[in-house]
Amino acid sequence: MFEQERFAVRVSSFLCSNPTSLALLLTCLLASVATNASAQNAAVANVAASIDSKEEPPHDLQALKPWGAARSRFLKVEDRTIHTGTPPEPRVDLFRKEIAPVLNKACADCHGVDDEDGRFRIGELNPDLFAGPDVAWWLEILDLISNKEMPPDDGEPLEDEQRTKIVDWLSTELQLASQVRRDAAGQSAFRRMTRYEFNYALQDLLGLSYNFVHDLPPDPINEEGFHNDASSLQMSATQLELYRKLARKALLKTASFGPQPAPVFWSISMSKGVEQSKAKYEADVAKAQRKHADDAEEFSKALEKLKKKYSSSHRGPYFRHLETGLTDRISWSYRGAKHAWATTGKLPEETPSSDVVSILPVQQKWIVELGNRVPDRGDLKIRILASRDEDESPGNPSLRLEFGFQASNNSSASAFVSPNDLVIEAPAGKPQFYEWRIPTSEMPIRNPMRRTGQMGKTPSPSEYLKLYNSSISNGAARIYYIEVSADYATWPTPSHRKLFPSFVTNDESSFARQHLSRFIRSTWRRPATKMELEQKVSLFERLRPVFNTAEETLLEVYATILSSPNFLYLAAGSPKSQHDATLIATRLATFLHCSLPDEQLIGLAQSGELLKPQVLEQETRRLLADSRSRRFAEQFTRQWLGMEMLDYLEVNRKDFPHWDPFLKEAMREEPIAFLQEVLQQNASVLDFLHADYAMINDRLSRHYGIPEVHGSHFRRMEIPERLQRGGLLTQAGLLAMNSDGVHSHPLKRGIWLLSRLLDDPPPPPPPSVPEIDLADPGIAKMTLKERLEDHRNDPACYSCHAKIDPWGVAFENYDAVGSWRSRIKGAEVDASSKLFNGEPLEGMQGLKRYLLQRRQDQFVRAMVSKLATFALGRPLRFEDRAEIDAIAAELRRKGDGLQDAILLLVQSDLFRG
Amino acid sequence: MTLKSLSQVDRRLFLRGAGIALALPAFETFGKVSFATAKSGASDEKRAPPKRLACFYMPDGVPMPLQEDPAFQDWSWFPHGEGKDYQLTKCLEPLGAVSENLTVLSGLSHPAARSIHGHSNADQFLTGAATGGHGDYQNSISLDQRYAQFIGDETRIASMVLSTDGGTGTPRGTHTMSFDRSGRAIPAEHKPKRIFDMLFVKQGEDAARRLAVSKSALDDLMEDANNLRRSLSKPDQAKLEEYLQALRDTELKVAKAKRWMDLPIPEANVDHLNLDVTPEDPRNYLQTMFELIYMAFKTDTTRVATYQIGRENGVGVSDYMARAIGFNLTHQLSHQTKEPEGWKNFGSYNRFLAEELCRFAKKLKATPEENQEGNMLDHTLLLFGSASSAFHLSRNYPLVLIGGNRLGFEHNQYLKCGIYPEGGQPAGGAWKGGREPWQKEMNHQERPLGDLFLTMLNRLGVETQSFAGSQAPLDSV
Repeated sequence: MFEQERFAVRVSSFLCSNPTSLALLLTCLLASVATNASAQNAAVANVAASIDSKEEPPHDLQALKPWGAARSRFLKVEDRTIHTGTPPEPRVDLFRKEIAPVLNKACADCHGVDDEDGRFRIGELNPDLFAGPDVAWWLEILDLISNKEMPPDDGEPLEDEQRTKIVDWLSTELQLASQVRRDAAGQSAFRRMTRYEFNYALQDLLGLSYNFVHDLPPDPINEEGFHNDASSLQMSATQLELYRKLARKALLKTASFGPQPAPVFWSISMSKGVEQSKAKYEADVAKAQRKHADDAEEFSKALEKLKKKYSSSHRGPYFRHLETGLTDRISWSYRGAKHAWATTGKLPEETPSSDVVSILPVQQKWIVELGNRVPDRGDLKIRILASRDEDESPGNPSLRLEFGFQASNNSSASAFVSPNDLVIEAPAGKPQFYEWRIPTSEMPIRNPMRRTGQMGKTPSPSEYLKLYNSSISNGAARIYYIEVSADYATWPTPSHRKLFPSFVTNDESSFARQHLSRFIRSTWRRPATKMELEQKVSLFERLRPVFNTAEETLLEVYATILSSPNFLYLAAGSPKSQHDATLIATRLATFLHCSLPDEQLIGLAQSGELLKPQVLEQETRRLLADSRSRRFAEQFTRQWLGMEMLDYLEVNRKDFPHWDPFLKEAMREEPIAFLQEVLQQNASVLDFLHADYAMINDRLSRHYGIPEVHGSHFRRMEIPERLQRGGLLTQAGLLAMNSDGVHSHPLKRGIWLLSRLLDDPPPPPPPSVPEIDLADPGIAKMTLKERLEDHRNDPACYSCHAKIDPWGVAFENYDAVGSWRSRIKGAEVDASSKLFNGEPLEGMQGLKRYLLQRRQDQFVRAMVSKLATFALGRPLRFEDRAEIDAIAAELRRKGDGLQDAILLLVQSDLFRG
Repeated sequence: MTLKSLSQVDRRLFLRGAGIALALPAFETFGKVSFATAKSGASDEKRAPPKRLACFYMPDGVPMPLQEDPAFQDWSWFPHGEGKDYQLTKCLEPLGAVSENLTVLSGLSHPAARSIHGHSNADQFLTGAATGGHGDYQNSISLDQRYAQFIGDETRIASMVLSTDGGTGTPRGTHTMSFDRSGRAIPAEHKPKRIFDMLFVKQGEDAARRLAVSKSALDDLMEDANNLRRSLSKPDQAKLEEYLQALRDTELKVAKAKRWMDLPIPEANVDHLNLDVTPEDPRNYLQTMFELIYMAFKTDTTRVATYQIGRENGVGVSDYMARAIGFNLTHQLSHQTKEPEGWKNFGSYNRFLAEELCRFAKKLKATPEENQEGNMLDHTLLLFGSASSAFHLSRNYPLVLIGGNRLGFEHNQYLKCGIYPEGGQPAGGAWKGGREPWQKEMNHQERPLGDLFLTMLNRLGVETQSFAGSQAPLDSV
């Protein structure tokens, strides 16, 4: 039976988005919480019953935010807890007496016993929401009735008063039923780690930011778009064996056994760079001298001409003699590995000076071939002495690095490996060293012939660096000298020391015990029990004879600890309360760092301190301030918005000549950077609907038509209204991924808006309806509106499309790559539409206006739901409804800050289990 | 060559420390777990007959003179006629000796690579992946590895992967026909001595050690999982059950792999073979490679083999193969068809390959299948071919299927799978400059080669609905 306290029901909100019905609804709702039926008539005094919905909303979108917020239905409800003596009962009597007759009158024409227009019969639905089977239907009815989408225009009209009555009864019942069912159902989201969590966890444990999970298959994506859904994360023998294999591989990369490998160096100077043109130039000068031996004036004219000829700049990379200005194009071919630089035994003490530099113009690449001596382990350190080439150019050159090879005429590959662009700020003539350090084991592309092939033979075993000036502003880079070294900065490596903090003693078992105890604590997020520790020590002892050293044996046991369910599985919902703090610590770290709790968090969980609300809040703030919260921004944004669609998007440059990989890369980053900004500023989540600033870099600014943005890093920019940007709805990547790469796609955009942002996904198309065949020339010829209307005219399609298409049409001023357009094939863009409930939308501005004016509550609640779904690692259920509403209400009161949303969620019963 | 005391030992033995080419039956690679054969060491007679697959790749395409060319009659690689009524030309004539086990096919190719230069397409011959024309690519699992997934744990070695050039080669310059489930190239072995050692010399302490460690680790994990289980709620226990099941499956696989270890390796006598032979002595090298595959099949050490006779693009040591018949570089033969005798020279090289392939097939045919009806060739399916036909053209792959009569293959026919507007024979002609054939639009229809692969897999016992872009099984073989 239920305990009394558990019926402390927090009542704070409802789904209804119709403000006019609010007052009545509240009255009924608050009253109804008391289970005593007579209490329903009790007056509720403190609810402000009047919302001046007549007052004109402001025109400015920014100003519309506070206007709409002030009118939130959530604000009107006091967060209150009502203790009741007996558990609530479903109010079936009330339903029979007052609701059923109204419903029957309004709905039975189409959803009655005789007609089967819809998929259910209104009279047959079970009104017991606490235990009955029809909750899903009732939820849909609530949505349709409160959004005035039902009954349809041609049906029996439903008076406002009647409508309110239905909504009141339903919301209250649903609210209470959610609470009752929640108490009855288990709340566990016991699951294995996702692919990315496994990777981040290994990175944090081992102190190396490598990609450890290349070989793991991608995780399934659930209907809502999340990858961490407990119910879809499976485990198989293949998967398990991969975990073990990858863990062992990661540990081997971390450890550095044996003697330190000999370093390899390259010292690359440009000094011989212009020899060819110099020789030709000098020959020509000699010729001119002979020709004009008697005429000094003619000779100096000819000399000028020759100087000009041999000092021209080139499109690709080229050498330049600083004193004479002579230049020479840099040429390269894989043949015979003739351009490979030889290694040197050690690096020169002093940087060799040279009069020759290489010039790397913007968007150009320069291959620096290293031969077949690049090792497979250790770091490749690349130091580049460089400056700007001209001081006048507005932007700085920036260098990016590829690593790859060409083995034969048809076999070459390379990939970007630099973790960051080197922005060359040094003024022309005053070069500075810029440097990357890249682990060779993390180069995604290596020449498979590098160990077996012979230098000079085809297929060539040689490998190269490819320097790329990634700047799109004017500004060539001037490179004076390059130093490459492949070595270990320290030996044993710091990561090795992290795995084996102390040296082996004669007592190997105690050495093992000590290390295992430490390792288990950090991997399993709790100390090992005595039994568990002894079990691992005995595994160590059993394996010891197989391996040469105690460390290597320990590595194998570590691999087992990393394949144990104690590591791989998260959020074990243990019935024992002492595990609660551990559970919260794990959940918090998984939520905000996509990884394991760190030492401090484990400590606080062990002492139980974490159960204190203020400690939990402090820790949440600490995790959010940590740079690892970037993972949350990335993973949550990508999953919430379904950004794999952008990864798969293919755009033909024939259709969009300015399309390039850097634009796509910037499009991918923009939503993440934007969420990161909203998060760090604790800005309102309404900024996702509209903002007067954007996070952009140079490539995106060019796409959006914002001048004077230099450099590929993302920064905050205020954006004027005329640019028609701001918030998520107008971000190029999100618009592009909801196109087909050629044309905009209103249907996709509408569905995306409804399901991702408003958490109101339309039902999937019925199986009998064929997909629109865009390859059909008849359909392809139609204008977009015609095409939609054509499809909508099919009665089977109408009911769904009428609810989707109008939303998508509002996006029509943005083309398939998210550029603004006012005309399509010469005709004015028509981005006006009418929502199913009759509201007209005028393009993007109109859409934003409508959302900020009418749907703020829905969006904020959706935001809370999405955050909660991601945080819990499971889809929300009916049982979670009351809790989500309570968080949303509190968030609205606090001003909608994204950080506040996270703090409220973390403190909720939902999160704390 | 004689094989000693083969009948006295169980032939399926576990190999330790197989080298780069011979994939260990690492337990993660198999989907199928069965102990049926593990327990039945004594009752060989009751076992289902083994089904084997070997695939061979020849680079450089084949001669396809135009119909009006005088060389057409003798040196067109594809036979004349069609169906049961066909005549082999001089290119394939030697295979006439096994005509009852022979099907020649035309009009098949992998759709994703039809407009890619023939030099770049060997990588996708057994996979059908879109490996493209430049940059990095993603390959997919090859036909042989798909079969090895299914049958690999029935033998000591899951599959053998051989090539003349050795290693993996580079993207679009592959030195191997085999790609694993992630599409990664499996390095091929090219030294006969090493291949022999891997097949018949006891070694590989490493693998034994690895298995012992796995066994201990699995026991330990089982203990972890059972302990955790006790502290979980009912629904969570149900979720953990997946993990426990995964552990149990892995244990079975380890046990299965381990049983090979306790069995002795068959002895083999190779006194007559020169295991140090190199591709610079092409005929002997080729014969040795075929012989080693024969020995591996005969001893049931493996049932799956690939051998890439040469790589594409006219580089590497395999390009010397034509020296066996007195030419210098193989690839050049395909470029010099417009010279006098050009078709004949190129065709003679093809004839040489056909002779050696036939020698191998005849040897299998002459060996009775132990404890089974028929001979070894009846239970062994050989696929021989190339991803290019006429000059650099990656369409209409020249293909030969041999053997597998008891697996359900209908032989002694020439199957034309393509549909040509003029109803005729696919033709190429010598290239005399200008746009190359591979750059031109395809004006006829071909069938996906995946269709044939699907049928092959199905008849080998793999129950799958699709493979390598197949649309429907090719039932007419």
